[in-house]
Amino acid sequence: MSRRFAVLTALAAVCAALELVAGRGMSPATAWDVLGGGGDATERHILLQLRLPRLLVALGAGASLAVAGLVLQSALRNPLAGPEVTGVTPGAVLGAVTATALGLAGWDSPLAVVLAACAGGCTGAALLWLLAGRGRGDPAATAVHGVLVSAVLGGLTAMVLLVEPGELGSVVQWLVGTTEGRVWQHWHLLWPWALLWGTAAWLLAGPLTLLRCGDETALAAGLPARRARTLALLCAVALTAGAVAAVGALGFVGLLVPHLAVALFGADLRVGLPGAAVVGAVVVCGADAVAQLSSRLLAAALETGGLTLPVGALTACLGAVLLLAVVRRTPDRTF
Amino acid sequence: MTDTDTDTDTDTGAGPDTDTESVGIRIEGVRFGYPERPVLRGVDMTVRPGELTALVGLNGCGKSTLLRLAAGLLRPDEGRVLLGGDDLARLSRRATARRVALLHQSAPAVPGMTVRHLVRQGRYAARGPLGMLREGDDPVVHRALRDVGVERWADRDVDALSGGERQRVRLAMALAQDTRVLLLDEPTTYLDLHHQLDVLRTVVRLREERGLTVVMVLHDLAHAARFAERIVALRDGRVAADGAPKDVVTPGLLADVLRVAGRVGRDPEGGWPVCYPDHPLPGMEYENRIH
Repeated sequence: MSRRFAVLTALAAVCAALELVAGRGMSPATAWDVLGGGGDATERHILLQLRLPRLLVALGAGASLAVAGLVLQSALRNPLAGPEVTGVTPGAVLGAVTATALGLAGWDSPLAVVLAACAGGCTGAALLWLLAGRGRGDPAATAVHGVLVSAVLGGLTAMVLLVEPGELGSVVQWLVGTTEGRVWQHWHLLWPWALLWGTAAWLLAGPLTLLRCGDETALAAGLPARRARTLALLCAVALTAGAVAAVGALGFVGLLVPHLAVALFGADLRVGLPGAAVVGAVVVCGADAVAQLSSRLLAAALETGGLTLPVGALTACLGAVLLLAVVRRTPDRTF
Repeated sequence: MTDTDTDTDTDTGAGPDTDTESVGIRIEGVRFGYPERPVLRGVDMTVRPGELTALVGLNGCGKSTLLRLAAGLLRPDEGRVLLGGDDLARLSRRATARRVALLHQSAPAVPGMTVRHLVRQGRYAARGPLGMLREGDDPVVHRALRDVGVERWADRDVDALSGGERQRVRLAMALAQDTRVLLLDEPTTYLDLHHQLDVLRTVVRLREERGLTVVMVLHDLAHAARFAERIVALRDGRVAADGAPKDVVTPGLLADVLRVAGRVGRDPEGGWPVCYPDHPLPGMEYENRIH
C-alpha cells in the first residue's frame, strides 16, 4: 500500500516536472536554471509567476475533484456518480459564465470568477437537495435528480452564451476546463478550501466505507445513514465548487479517478481518499503537461502561434475510454 | 400492556448487557404499517434470553417487518419493543447496534472490499466514526472471523467468494457487533442445501458458545422444526401460533399459516416434527402475497 503511494507520488513529481518544462519558449535547461535562482527577469516571471501557480492549481484541482468523486460514488452507491452529475459543476459553470456575461467578472479578476462559480455550484447543489427530498431520497433517486439538475443548468448556460456571445471565446475554455492563465491568486483561493473539505471528507472515511456496503447494512451496523450521506455530500459539493471555480468544468476526473483509486487502494476509504487525491493530482497534472506538449507540437506542425489545447478536452477523451472499460467490467452491479 | 405470557423471567433487570448475561426481547402490542395496509396488527411476543426462535409465515405476513422492529430499524406505530428491559425507541441508532445485530437477507456487492475489512465494519457502533480511522487489530474481529471459519479467506475480496462463503462472512460481520441478540432474516435464501445447513449449524453452535438470543426468519418449516426451540407463526400481521416445534408443527399449522395441505410426521431418530407438504390450498387473496 505504502509502495503504491510512493510510486504515485514519484509519478506526480515527474508530471509536475514535465508540466514545468512543457510550455512553449523555454528549454528544460533554462527552467532548471531559473529554479536554481538564475535566469533573466522574463524567464523568472514565466516560470515563477505563470507556470508554478498553474502547476499547483492543476494538482489541487485534480485532487479535489477526485476526492469529491469518490465521496459521491460511495455516498450514492453509484459508479456513475460524479461531480458532473450533482448539479455542482454545471452550477459553478453557469455562475462563472453569467458573472462574465454581466461584466461582473473576467479573466483579470480571478476572485470574482471564483466567488461566482462557488455561488453557482452551491445553488446547483441546493437545487438537487430540494428536488431529491432534502436528504430523504434514496441514492438512486438522488443520482437521477442530479442528472436532471445538471441538464437544466447546462441549458441555462447555453442560453446565457447565446444572449451574450461576445464573451464566448474566454468562456468556452471554462466549459471544457483549463489551467491556462491560472495565477497565484487562484492557488491561494484553492488550497485552504481544498485542505479544509478534504480533511472533512477524510474524517468521514469510516461512515463512507460503511455506506458503500449499502444502507441496510450500514443502519444495522449502527450508522445513521441519512445523516452521514448528507455530510458526505456537503464535503463533495464544497470540494467540487472549489475545483471548478479554479479550473472550470474539468470533465471525467471526478468520475473516473475514484475507480482507479479503488482498484489501487481497495474499498478502505481511509487509504482510498488520500489515494484518490494523489491519483487525481497525477491525472490532471499529467494531462495538462501532455496538453501543453501537444499544443506545442501542433503549433509547430501547423505553423500557427496561438494554438492551445485545453486540459479538459484531454481528460474528457481519456475519461470516455476509461469509462467504457469500467462499464464493461461491471455489467450487473450497482458498483 | 397486553402481556399474556405467564413467564416473568424475561425481565433481565435494569442492568444492560454484561458480558455473560443473555438478553431477552419483548414485543408489546406492536402495530405497524400504513392505514390502508397494516403490516402488523398488534403483536405480543416474548423471546426468552438465550432462546433460538424461528419466525415463519407467508410472504408479506410481517415477519421481516417484525425483525426490523426488533432491530430498532423501524419504529412501531403503537406498542413497544424492549431489549433486556430497554425501550428501543429511547436508544440511538448506534446504541441499538451495540445491543442487537441484524443480518439482512441480501447485501449488494462492494468492489475491492476484503473479508477482514467487511467484518471490521461490524465494529462501527463500538468505535464510532472517528474510531474507524485507526481501526487496528481487534480481538473481536479475530474471534468473529474464527468463529464462523472464514479466517483463511480474510484477505480475499468478498465479491470473489461463493454465495455460501459470503453468507458466512456477513454472519461474521454481524457477530463483530458483539451483541447479545442476533436477528437473521432468511439467512439461507439463495443457498444450496449443503450451505443452508452449514449456516444454520453455525448459528446453533454460536448461540451455545456465546449464549446468544437468536431470532431468525425461516421459509423452510423443516429447518425451523429441526433447529429452533420455539416457532412463532405469523398470519396477517398477528401471531397465529407460538410454541415448541413438537407442539406447533401440525397439519393445522400448515393449512392455516402456510396455506398448504400436508402431513406431519416425526423424525425416526431425533423425534422432531417432519413436514410432508403436498399442495397449496385455494383462497389466497392476491394482496396477501404482496411482499
